[in-house]
Amino acid sequence: MNLNAAILGYGAYVPIYRIRTEEIARVWHGGGAGPNRMKAIASFDEDILTMSYESASQALSMAGNPQIQAILVGSESKPYAVKPTGSILSDILGYNKTLGVDLEFACKAGTEAMQLISGMVSSGTIDYGLAIGADTAQGRPADELEFTAGSGAAAIVIGRPNGKEIARINHSVSYVTDTPDFWRRPHDQYPMHLGRFTGEPAYFAHITSSVKMLFSETGMKPSDFKYAIFHQPNPRFPVEVGKRLGFTDEQLRPGLLNDDIGNTYSANTLISLAKVLDMAETGDKIMLASFGSGAGSDAFVIEVNSRDQDNGYVPFSERLRNYREVDYATYARWRGKIQK
Amino acid sequence: MSVFIRSAYALPVSEYWTKSIVDLMVDAANRAIDAVPGVKIDKVIVGNMMSGYANHQEHLGALLASSLGMKGVEAIKVEAACGSGGAAIHEGYLSIKSGEYENVLVVGVEKMKDMDTPKTTKALAMAESSDFTQAVGASFISLNALLMRLYMNSYNVDEELMDYFPVIAHKNAVTSPHAQYRKAITVDDVKRSPVIADPIKLLSSAPSGDGAAAVILSSKEGPVEVLASEIATNDLIVAQREEPLRFLATEIAFKKAIKKSGISASDIDFMELHDAFPVVASLGLEAMGISKKGKAPQDASNGRFNMGSELPILTFGGLKARGHPVGATGAYQVVEAFMQLAGTAGQNQVKGAKVGLTHNVGGVDTTAVIHIMRRVE
Amino acid sequence: MNKMIPIAYWRNRKVYTRMIGSKCKDCGAEFFPPVRVCKKCGSRNIEEKEMPRTGTLLAYTKLSEPAQEFKEYAPIYLGFIRLDNGVNVISMIADADEEKLKSGSRVQATVRKWTEDGKGGLIYYGYKFRVSD
Repeated sequence: MNLNAAILGYGAYVPIYRIRTEEIARVWHGGGAGPNRMKAIASFDEDILTMSYESASQALSMAGNPQIQAILVGSESKPYAVKPTGSILSDILGYNKTLGVDLEFACKAGTEAMQLISGMVSSGTIDYGLAIGADTAQGRPADELEFTAGSGAAAIVIGRPNGKEIARINHSVSYVTDTPDFWRRPHDQYPMHLGRFTGEPAYFAHITSSVKMLFSETGMKPSDFKYAIFHQPNPRFPVEVGKRLGFTDEQLRPGLLNDDIGNTYSANTLISLAKVLDMAETGDKIMLASFGSGAGSDAFVIEVNSRDQDNGYVPFSERLRNYREVDYATYARWRGKIQK
Repeated sequence: MSVFIRSAYALPVSEYWTKSIVDLMVDAANRAIDAVPGVKIDKVIVGNMMSGYANHQEHLGALLASSLGMKGVEAIKVEAACGSGGAAIHEGYLSIKSGEYENVLVVGVEKMKDMDTPKTTKALAMAESSDFTQAVGASFISLNALLMRLYMNSYNVDEELMDYFPVIAHKNAVTSPHAQYRKAITVDDVKRSPVIADPIKLLSSAPSGDGAAAVILSSKEGPVEVLASEIATNDLIVAQREEPLRFLATEIAFKKAIKKSGISASDIDFMELHDAFPVVASLGLEAMGISKKGKAPQDASNGRFNMGSELPILTFGGLKARGHPVGATGAYQVVEAFMQLAGTAGQNQVKGAKVGLTHNVGGVDTTAVIHIMRRVE
Repeated sequence: MNKMIPIAYWRNRKVYTRMIGSKCKDCGAEFFPPVRVCKKCGSRNIEEKEMPRTGTLLAYTKLSEPAQEFKEYAPIYLGFIRLDNGVNVISMIADADEEKLKSGSRVQATVRKWTEDGKGGLIYYGYKFRVSD
């Protein structure tokens, strides 16, 4: 997809609470740990609406509060099966003359939102839109995914390039198949997955396909990019797929957050994008590839322009350093895992 | 037109598993009626806060009149949160004063013990704004806790000093026949009791209970005359008050009552103060000018309000130890003042009591009801 | 059982999520929550005004026995906060850490879940304040 869209503002929000995977392993296995050190979890009074609100407020403030005409919230942990979080968020932000609705595609609903809003902006359908990825991922107790299923949100304000934008979204691709690696039926609290099948046939195959599509359509190659952000279901996969596609550790490292906050699902790559944008400089190119089980992958070429340094702005990596650890009992209580 | 009290009766405050709200009202009413043989009641007024939510019962005026077999008699319910009892007495006073009625039966009643703690908390919170105070999770106790913290910060007062109020209450309750808790406590006991909403402790918080108190007001002479009955209100949302630590309702009602009664503050021989929490007792006394601002706890600790001192308060245990069946409390206070002035207070008698004052509050001094009564010689 | 009255919640949602209060068009006084009549000058010329989302904590308390709609979230922390425009507000405190809760702490408004009607009922969102570092 040829795009003519720009990032005017962005915001990332991760709850302050963490649980160590050692603690989760202690409860279910009597020892050991998960592939990541910790994950971020939402407090009992947080959900994707509250986290979207936090990240959107940051993004809107950075963008100078433009008149938003579309809000897309991508998530797989919607509080309502029927009643879009996008509608509630639009109301709270004060945008009623707006399209406010939700998207779902496992972990890539956030980047889809970015793609669709970029499309609406590029075509002149709207002037400004808000793309959000947010999740309070549900980890089935004792399942390996419980180690990584985390909570977080990220928001991007998108408009047309005007010379003063933070970055331009030049190109995007999307690749989709029907692959049963991971899914959730409406009546179930937790998703199901097929273990090792989620690796090669799902994650690796789809990301490889979308990134190769991206290179082919744009004529670009790995060395053209300063940063490469991949979806991080665990600490290892993004490093592996990045290496296979020809990216270096240096390009990959800034976007790797799974070890500290786990997998924030729909917010995953967008949170990494926020972190990278904090440190990127004019002219830097960012390659971003998401992955959603089911399955599909979106890939983007994002080119950094500039940003006026906002006095009050605290870089995301700094904010991440302020956290509080909780134990499994508190985690189970807060995430509704205790039968009453 | 003078207003007298011909009889007054207070049911012991307790947990009455076997008595309904009707039973409580009828028990109290019957005793008051029997004390004035042949009395013909022209009007029934019931003071109550939460019968709808707690007992799924409204229409208490007609309910009591019909339960007493008083077919055709005028009857209504009066509500002003925890000031309902006082407000009901006030309406009875006005009825007599108007000259339209000769004998008015006023009963304050509350039956709280059919509810569990969370429901009770919710019921009490209904004195506060549903939309804007209940909605944010602020329970009634938490509002008073915040007020206490502001008081302590403003006046540099320790929690311990404020705990003298529950001590005074409990000491008097030991010999009080209708008190709910009849055991003395120390300041240390209060301090070591569990925290309910910091800095309010279990033993500094008025309890909940079931009870009823009845009074017959009349234009015909009785042992006690009501010299003044005044009500004033303040902004419902405490945070919206210009001075959160100023009990404006108490201040205004007190001033009006003193003026109406023709007595001066120094004539008051005892006071049935609204001691829901130490901070309420303190701010109440300060609003009435009895204590200087920030000094009421100090005065309490110095014994200024003990039995036998210059101004005994909570002579039968107050809200803290006599109990606080919320909508009934104002009526309990008037019954207690009646007993003092009629000389029937037994072991709790304030010697030579001639003038007494009752102070009943709804919400966080959102409604204040002051009665000044004198002994009829 | 409804923890809050759904339609009343909807009616008040701008107050709850955006802290929309009042400003008197005649004397300029600001109020939160909204008023119908100015408490300062008695005027009925009132317009909507969004309150500042930052303030100072004057006092706080910890409630271990909240009313029934908040029972499952106990303990809850409540604060008495002076907003930067001088208006006082009582609010739940989010991410409460007793070591950081002091009179004088600077606080910041956010939107959190207040309560919900079980697994099938409505979710009620509203303002809470957290200590800003």
